[in-house]
Amino acid sequence: MSTFLEQLPIVINSLNIGFLQTLKLFFVTLLGALPLGLLICFGSMSKIKPVKRLFQLLIWIVRGTPLMIQLLIIYYFPGLVLDNPIWGGAESGRFAASAVAFIINYACYFSEIYRGGIIAIPIGQDEAGLVLGMTKSDIFFKVKLLQMIKRILPPMSNEVLTLVKDTSLARIIALQEIIWAGQAFMKGSQGISGAIWPLFFTAIYYLICNGLLTVLFARLEKKLSYFR
Amino acid sequence: MKTKLTALLLTAVMGFSLMACGSGNASGASDLQAVKDKGTLVVGITDFEPMDYKDESGNWIGFDADMANAFAESLGVKAEFIEIEWDNKALELESGNIDCVWNGMTLTEEVLSAMDCSKPYCNNAQIVIVPADKADQYQTVDSLSDLNFAVEVGSAGEAEAAANNLTYTSVSNQANALMEVAAGTSDGAIIDSLMAAAMVGEGTNYENLTYTVGLNSEEYGVGFRKGSDLVTELNNFFKASYDDGSMAATAEKYGVQAALIAQ
Repeated sequence: MSTFLEQLPIVINSLNIGFLQTLKLFFVTLLGALPLGLLICFGSMSKIKPVKRLFQLLIWIVRGTPLMIQLLIIYYFPGLVLDNPIWGGAESGRFAASAVAFIINYACYFSEIYRGGIIAIPIGQDEAGLVLGMTKSDIFFKVKLLQMIKRILPPMSNEVLTLVKDTSLARIIALQEIIWAGQAFMKGSQGISGAIWPLFFTAIYYLICNGLLTVLFARLEKKLSYFR
Repeated sequence: MKTKLTALLLTAVMGFSLMACGSGNASGASDLQAVKDKGTLVVGITDFEPMDYKDESGNWIGFDADMANAFAESLGVKAEFIEIEWDNKALELESGNIDCVWNGMTLTEEVLSAMDCSKPYCNNAQIVIVPADKADQYQTVDSLSDLNFAVEVGSAGEAEAAANNLTYTSVSNQANALMEVAAGTSDGAIIDSLMAAAMVGEGTNYENLTYTVGLNSEEYGVGFRKGSDLVTELNNFFKASYDDGSMAATAEKYGVQAALIAQ
């Protein structure tokens, strides 16, 4: 068996490819879940009762069931029950199914954080806006939105850091992200077998990524601290 | 309002369960034709030397991979290899994401009940892995009773452990089972002999482990969807390539010729 130094570049190369997949899922999820979360948030705060109940039901189901089960259902359900494997077996299909599951799941969590940020803003601001003759959407986008963003930054940073690590759940439908890449060397891959250290190596990737995100969130908070 | 909602929900649930029942029989259409139509045979595999693994340039090789390529060629299509999560192999097949499982798959009762399988083509055994310094004490099946084993969940090793009344813990895969032994959290593991030969002993990452007793021997086969007409197609292909010696030649290339089963 080759030495550690000979194995290192092979392992790093594999982990890099896996981590790229992790990052791809992370960014696609954020891109989809941030706006979808706002939509679900509006739905769950709607004045129309059935709409409100429907969105509350959705949030309950999505937050109340494990993401791992959601991944399995979204990926296998079309082929198993509907006899129509829409995702296909290829890597791209697995990624698309993972992205859909993650976006729906995280949008529901985000929506509740948004809701918390919105209801934290005193009702006096709505009243003041109405008196000034502003429309409801004007009040939301021009008065309340930035205050909401400022308030929800700390809980959002929590969710975003969790998202980085949660992407590893997609390995259940064989999306080859970084944990999958690390584990491959335990079983044997590219001439390296029974190696446990690559799996623990993956932790460094997560740590660096989340370190950068923490710094980014701290900066954002500072930028928004010009008003209270 | 409430009763209406409940009724609606119940109808939806029953509808889904009906569809679930129907799907099993609905796949009666010809798999062979479907594979020919799309031009690819999608083969579900894991990275498993010497059966399916990647060469320097990233192509899948190995005894199973080479045979799968040859089989696909005989059908006039291309083999496409897709890595799957081994626990989900039956799900991958039934949902139509892959056309077959061809990865040194032991023909256990669970496998045979979940898929239609080819005739066995390769022999394998489940063997006991223990730390090398304790190997002398555990050379017979009777001596294993006071050990705590780690086995892969749903594997042939797990079935053997249960059949021999051994104490065991099920872990997610065979590599984890080995790690348990290396870390001392389990006293021993039960894994495939082909895998053990590659992973345990001198010159591997588990130099301190060794294998002792061989439990029941078993056979490898290729799994297809239930009712698939590809099964007979593959059995014929196996027979032809066994008779003309090409199967033996491929086996020799990967060092598994001794385990080959006459077709």
